[in-house]
Amino acid sequence: MAALPGAVGFRDVRLDYRLYRDRSVTLMQAVMNLFGRGTTRSWFTALNGVSFSISPGEAVALIGANGAGKSTCLKLLAGIYSPTSGNVSTSGRIASLLDLGVGFHPELTGSENVMLNGALLGLSQGEMKALMPEIARFAMLERFMDTPVKTYSSGMFMRLGFALATSVDPDILLIDEVLAVGDAAFQERCYDRIRGFKRRGKTIVFVSHDPDAVKSLCERAVWLDSGAVRMDGESDAVLGEYLLSAGGNRRVERVSVSPREWGNREVFFERVSITGEGGVETAVFRPGTPLTVRAEISGGKDRPVENVILGYSVHRPDGEVVLAGNNLEAGFPLLTVAGRVSAAITLRLTTLEPGNYILGVSLTGNETDYHWQDYCYPLALLGERMSPPLRLEKVEFDCECR
Amino acid sequence: MTDLPLLMKSLVDKDLRVRYKRSVLGFLWFLLKPVFSMVVYTVVFTRIIRFGGAIENFSLFLLTGLLPWNFFSSSLAASTRTLLDNHRLIRSVYFPRAALPVAAVIANGVHMLLALGVLQLLLWLWGHAPSLPLIAALPAVLMLCCLTSGLALALSVWNVYYRDVSQFLEVVLLAWFYASPVIYPLGMGMLPPRVEHIIRFNPLSGILEILHSAMYSGTWPEAWCWISGFFWSAGFLLMGVLVFRRYEPSVVKEL
Repeated sequence: MAALPGAVGFRDVRLDYRLYRDRSVTLMQAVMNLFGRGTTRSWFTALNGVSFSISPGEAVALIGANGAGKSTCLKLLAGIYSPTSGNVSTSGRIASLLDLGVGFHPELTGSENVMLNGALLGLSQGEMKALMPEIARFAMLERFMDTPVKTYSSGMFMRLGFALATSVDPDILLIDEVLAVGDAAFQERCYDRIRGFKRRGKTIVFVSHDPDAVKSLCERAVWLDSGAVRMDGESDAVLGEYLLSAGGNRRVERVSVSPREWGNREVFFERVSITGEGGVETAVFRPGTPLTVRAEISGGKDRPVENVILGYSVHRPDGEVVLAGNNLEAGFPLLTVAGRVSAAITLRLTTLEPGNYILGVSLTGNETDYHWQDYCYPLALLGERMSPPLRLEKVEFDCECR
Repeated sequence: MTDLPLLMKSLVDKDLRVRYKRSVLGFLWFLLKPVFSMVVYTVVFTRIIRFGGAIENFSLFLLTGLLPWNFFSSSLAASTRTLLDNHRLIRSVYFPRAALPVAAVIANGVHMLLALGVLQLLLWLWGHAPSLPLIAALPAVLMLCCLTSGLALALSVWNVYYRDVSQFLEVVLLAWFYASPVIYPLGMGMLPPRVEHIIRFNPLSGILEILHSAMYSGTWPEAWCWISGFFWSAGFLLMGVLVFRRYEPSVVKEL
């Protein structure tokens, strides 16, 4: 299969690591192990039956909990590991940002290190010489290229590493959360350069825990869970499912309440959907985007049911109500249901504490409960955590001095 | 995709540049170390044990053996650690990893060639003028490099699994030194015939004897030296390459 430069394929990939049941810690244990069967071997399967393919020019994020196999995938793509079984195929030149500046020797100068590392990246001396000024410029180290890198600050070191690793014109760029490089301004330049690669149709494979970074760079995401692909699709959708399931690494506690419904069903919810911007169904909301609850309501077949109150509530995972309201309270007209009606509630939220929430809806009348759906619709609200979560109004210190 | 000769050149270059940074005597150390040990052995074996007196210019004879021996032992000591020392690099970029131990051997080889050149000059000054058999030294150096590289490849991998390898190596090298014709010549009746017979099976004996005859005596080496040198170096190189290829995929995960 002759693939275009930039294509990536994983076919039923499995990768095993060997685990040592016993890493002897003390000398005494080590001596005892010589006589016993101390170093029994066992295997740990990091990836099992992983298949996906990426076409040239796609930007794909690998997401998942720690230990799910994301970095292992990148190492397989970079050719560092070879699969235990299955097949990994890549075509074209690969630049890997797995770790920056690792080939640098502290005693050598910046330009000596760049020249020496060029060979590791597969560049000729001539190509490397031609790239040198650009590398120095991007790393903002023009004045320091003839200084030994041991005198560099860690930021300078990483900048040179990043400039070097991205100076090769790759067909495939592998990025492993190394973008915490230098100060904010340099980070922005790094992202700019990466977005530049994307614009020029290079394939990008990105491992990150930061949902915002994933969304801004990748239109597709592959969710790895315990070494297998759990979901593969549009990054919004995958990220949403992932954040809901994993608590998005923001909250540890699981949703501790289960959905419940009750009411006399004289009027009832036929279908409820939650949509975001552009009417797309989602459960994940970025700050500043509207959240719309669309409800198909049935009832009143024999005679119309009047003055129906449509309510909503947002709960924390532990069940505590954060927000609640209804059309009566908000001053909107009440519903009259005869046959089928559709209604929509659009909320604009300011998220002070990002995380998981659960939405509930209700149909009530004057002292009648038609239909309640409590804790039914999980939501993930993204955004920056606003700190501190408390605001001090006033403080006083009292002291009775003797 | 990787330009292997360029990669080797870069790694060797790096090794040479780094080794003598902040050192006043720099490269001279590669010559000074064997010279110091030569002085010690000369004093021990001509003044104390009276063993080398039978050999004319015993000091120069010693150097002819000590230079290749030092190459052999320091190459192995350096290359055994290469995979461990470069573990972060190995785990973040793909390149042919065999280049690391082999580059360590070649960097030492460069030193050895320079030092042998200086030695040849000294030999000339003391009346051992270069003669035609000197060309035999080149294939001997090549065979020595192959043998050392093969061993270096295997040791570098084994050392990842068992750190004992580098400790064990020191002990083995000590014994190997005395079992090799470095401080004594073969074929001059200085050793009991049975011992000499056994020592000829030492993988280094043939190569060292070629260097002795080519540089020091100016005579053509005996046939057994060529046979021994060729088979041992080809054998070790093949073993090293096979071991490395067999373990390379799993060793990366162990680092």
